[in-house]
Amino acid sequence: MKGLWRYLEGRKLRAALMVLVGAGNAAAQTGGWLLVRDAIDNGIVAGDKRHLTIIVAIYLVVAAAGWLLQAWLIRGLAAIGQAIVIGLRRNLFDHLTNLSLRYFSQQKAGWIIARLTSDVDAVSDVLSQGMPTLVSNVILLPAAVIALLIADWRLGLISFAVLPPALILSRWFQRVSHAANVEQRNRIAAVTAQIAESVAGMAIVQAFNRERRFQAEFDALNDANRAQSTYVQKIFSVFFPSIEFLGVLAMGTVLYFGSHLYQSGTLTIGTLITAIYLLQLVFQPLQELSDVYGQLQSAGAAMVKIASILDEEPEIRDRPGAEPLPRLEGDLDIDSVVFAYGKDPVLHEISFHMAPGSCFALVGESGHGKSTLARLIGRHYDPDEGAVRVDGHDLRDVQLRSYRRQLGVVLQDPFLFSGTIGSNIRFAKPDATDEEVEAAAAAVGVDRVAARLSGGLEHEVREGGAGLSSGERQLISIARALLADPRILVLDEATSNIDRPTEVLIEQALDRLLRGRTSIIIAHRLSTVRRADEILVVENGQIIQRGTERELLAVDGPFRRLAHTLDGGEPELAAAG
Amino acid sequence: MSTYANSVDPPDLGMLPTFRRLLHIWREQWRLGVFALTCSLLYTLISITIPILIQRAIDHSIDISRHEHRQPLWPYLAAIAGLAACRFIINFNRRFATARIGVRIEARMRELLYQAYLRYPRAFYDRHATGQVLSRATNDLYPIRYFIGWGLVQGIQSVMMIIGAGIVLALVDPQLTLYAAVSLPPIGIVAYRFGHLVSPISRQVQARKGDVTEAADEAVVGIEMVQAFGREDDVRERFGDRAQGVRSAALRQATVESQHVPGLYYLPALSIAAVVFFGGRAVIEGDLTIGNFVLFETLLLQLVWPLEAIGWILDLAQRALASAGRSFAWLEGIEPLPDPANPRHLPPGPLGVRFERVSFAYGGEVDVLRELDFVVQPGEIVAVCGSTGSGKTSLLNLLPRFYDPTSGRVLVGGVDTRDVPIAELRASVALVTQRPVLFSVPLRDNLTAGREDADWDEVLAACEAAGVDAFGPTLPDGYDTLIGERGVNLSGGQRQRVALARALVAGARVVVLDDPLSAVDTLTERRLVGRLRPALSGRTVLVATQRLSTVEIADRAVVLLDGRIVESGKPAELLRAGGPFATLFGDEVVAA
Repeated sequence: MKGLWRYLEGRKLRAALMVLVGAGNAAAQTGGWLLVRDAIDNGIVAGDKRHLTIIVAIYLVVAAAGWLLQAWLIRGLAAIGQAIVIGLRRNLFDHLTNLSLRYFSQQKAGWIIARLTSDVDAVSDVLSQGMPTLVSNVILLPAAVIALLIADWRLGLISFAVLPPALILSRWFQRVSHAANVEQRNRIAAVTAQIAESVAGMAIVQAFNRERRFQAEFDALNDANRAQSTYVQKIFSVFFPSIEFLGVLAMGTVLYFGSHLYQSGTLTIGTLITAIYLLQLVFQPLQELSDVYGQLQSAGAAMVKIASILDEEPEIRDRPGAEPLPRLEGDLDIDSVVFAYGKDPVLHEISFHMAPGSCFALVGESGHGKSTLARLIGRHYDPDEGAVRVDGHDLRDVQLRSYRRQLGVVLQDPFLFSGTIGSNIRFAKPDATDEEVEAAAAAVGVDRVAARLSGGLEHEVREGGAGLSSGERQLISIARALLADPRILVLDEATSNIDRPTEVLIEQALDRLLRGRTSIIIAHRLSTVRRADEILVVENGQIIQRGTERELLAVDGPFRRLAHTLDGGEPELAAAG
Repeated sequence: MSTYANSVDPPDLGMLPTFRRLLHIWREQWRLGVFALTCSLLYTLISITIPILIQRAIDHSIDISRHEHRQPLWPYLAAIAGLAACRFIINFNRRFATARIGVRIEARMRELLYQAYLRYPRAFYDRHATGQVLSRATNDLYPIRYFIGWGLVQGIQSVMMIIGAGIVLALVDPQLTLYAAVSLPPIGIVAYRFGHLVSPISRQVQARKGDVTEAADEAVVGIEMVQAFGREDDVRERFGDRAQGVRSAALRQATVESQHVPGLYYLPALSIAAVVFFGGRAVIEGDLTIGNFVLFETLLLQLVWPLEAIGWILDLAQRALASAGRSFAWLEGIEPLPDPANPRHLPPGPLGVRFERVSFAYGGEVDVLRELDFVVQPGEIVAVCGSTGSGKTSLLNLLPRFYDPTSGRVLVGGVDTRDVPIAELRASVALVTQRPVLFSVPLRDNLTAGREDADWDEVLAACEAAGVDAFGPTLPDGYDTLIGERGVNLSGGQRQRVALARALVAGARVVVLDDPLSAVDTLTERRLVGRLRPALSGRTVLVATQRLSTVEIADRAVVLLDGRIVESGKPAELLRAGGPFATLFGDEVVAA
């Protein structure tokens, strides 16, 4: 939990104030009983009704003050806690967005998201709900002991006799119940996962008559969860009655010694009675702290996992003194680039040069380095050897942001953010006017897609773009790239997976998009490859053949063999037609 | 067809019928229930007796100003210790028994719901979001568990405690009892109000946390887009807004807590003050002994928790009844797909498929299929083509009876699908869905899901035909590799190939493929098409597809337009004919 300390910056005074408020609250609870003692001894036993009235009045004022202090404590600690949480969450998120694609390809998305959500939530729960309990009880426990000692030091010593077994018992409970709760969460998570998987895949479960098998699997998990729940409840059922039992024993001890002291005249009856109740105040924090303990443990574990992300160094970052790029001409130079994800290089000394406004196509089987090359051009990775230069600037020497703003990317499976179609196009250029967005949409035919959806460009896109066909998503992502008005453009298999009528639309959209920009196209379709000025055939991380389509088809080489398998080259049916 | 929609979304049950059903489930646990109630009664009696013993000890052995004889203290202390020990055992048993009732009922309700889920028709899943279906069998059960397990017994015990303590105190001093009880009703009210206010807010907090998850999910999954366009600041701002949403909701919750929780701690002070003030005066007047004064304080403090509990329980009861009402409505109101009353069996040998004047519409909507007639000969492979939304998937979904046609008949092997036992029909129709669903079990078990006793050589043959052999053996544990979130995430294309192999292994006589290779890259697809044809021979196959290359598997292609078959013939002939089929695929050929 140490990592949290720095988020307290600027709030340390308020945090200290809250500790004082907590102390005030504890003083009100324990002090109240000391007042009751005074009322008994100096009011009731002495027969002084006036004194009794005064003390009761003071007692009520103290209780009212305690009430207010506790309300303040709960609200105040939650405010501090939430400020810390939001700082942590933002910091973590900012840090994540700076990490390179390598990190995201190595970690599962679900794992990363869990750090941002359930782990931060675990910290949040402790800070906003656990804290008031923690602070007030950590103060209350010693306060009650001190009040006992003030009331009568000899009876106060008794509390030290009962505290050790109570502490041992609490410690046992904390340990055992925490472990049991963790296991319980695992088991209920397994049950939940089973239900979620069945519901999501119900079509297949039913189609393959798997109901009985799934029912059996579920029953086993459900029973395991029930057994664990029962075990957890057993621990709770032992602990709380034990504390109650210890409380009665403590009270008996006080009565026993108290009566002796009382008869010897060194103890007032008021002190004796008050001591009984003050002892209960010693036990109460033990129970409440036991409840918070599990939360604290989970939050601690969560912080460790969060820290593992925060400790990750961003791989791609601006060099000190990196210059922002001026508007690019679009000259792109790939110079003897070598790159490896792990040990074995994926790209072997690849070199080529593109004049501003030219269009190259990369073809070849998947897994041979085409997409890796595209990512080096986007500076998602830096080359191990060689350099990628734009207008003569090594990408490592320029401000990343200023470069990427002039870069457009269209991926095979375009990702849409939740929001409207319009806001997804605007993503590339947030300050674009509505007219610009509409113009970009119209230029690539998104307006026609939008027209058949309710709300047109204001149509709400559900998460990940569900509800739109992949062709429609692709058109939107092309409009997005067009609006960004990039100087350099990378299209990664932008036209696979689409039915033919939509593809025609996309081909037209690409014509608009590519005009006047330096562009790299990774393609599987002949019709897409054809528009390139030059075709590079990539195999095993090397360029094994290059030239125009006509040149390459003229010779019996890798491209001609590949052309037969490219989508669009339909030898048998074409012959039939 | 409005009854169709209603039948998968029945209205929630009212409070009273729900309560009756809950009691019915509770009665299954009656032994534990009676045991817990007995413990409750004993617990209450002991809890009232101990303060009385303390009062006696003080008045007769400690402060003997009003008695001549000082009685020995030890018998009282011994009795108190003995009773405390008994109470410990009884309390343990009561808590454990009530908790077990709750745990068992939670498990039972979950089992009932899950059993029902497995039988519900597709229309149910079209209608209800996965999250809702899931939470009904998980989070929604907790109020039910706590109410019926802990709440019912604790409520009864609270009432016993209040009545018992009230009787004892009233016997000692009725007037003082009245004064001292002043703070007690507000404690119950504050507890109830708190529970009532805080549960919707904590649901809001959960909802806001869900928003954060969504924003995090988007940014992490779409990180390449974000970084490629240099838009990190925008997603940060968006995420920050969502995080801010959680913060405000959490602070609203803290506000409600700060308004109620201190009350629960400090309201009892009013009673203590009343006892000290009025009781103290009575002691001074000689109307009350100091021991009775202590008895009042002790019993009053013991009443605080039962009163709080009643407040919580009243609120809990409302939530439990509401969520149980929803669950029972589903359990009782939704009809699973009925098995035929007079089942007929499928004939042996290859099965033909015939659609006779079939119309179909999703609950209450316009017809997707209109009086469609379509015959597939036994052993024939037919490609179903058509643009997105033309009804291909709906047509295929009628075969395993995910839906029944709204009019007309679907015949498999000459038998109406509604007359065939569902299990038999589905064993004869293997399906590959558009979005392949694999389960979080080893690859091997995914492959044999359709036929567990399949011969491993057959499985390998299917893997070869479906192209699983290209990646299966290279997975970390080969065919024993665990698939899914906890194991290896396969790519979309790989998942489709596994789904395809699974359908082949199932050995069904009718195979339904819904765009089975859409996510497979074109080179691999080309290889697979050549291998699939022989693997499918002898079976009747319907394959929906967007790609001309997949159409090559088929003997015949049909084109679906506006819910009807508008064209049928050999793919090559259809291309030449220049009709709807040529419009769908023609450009691809021209391009070559």
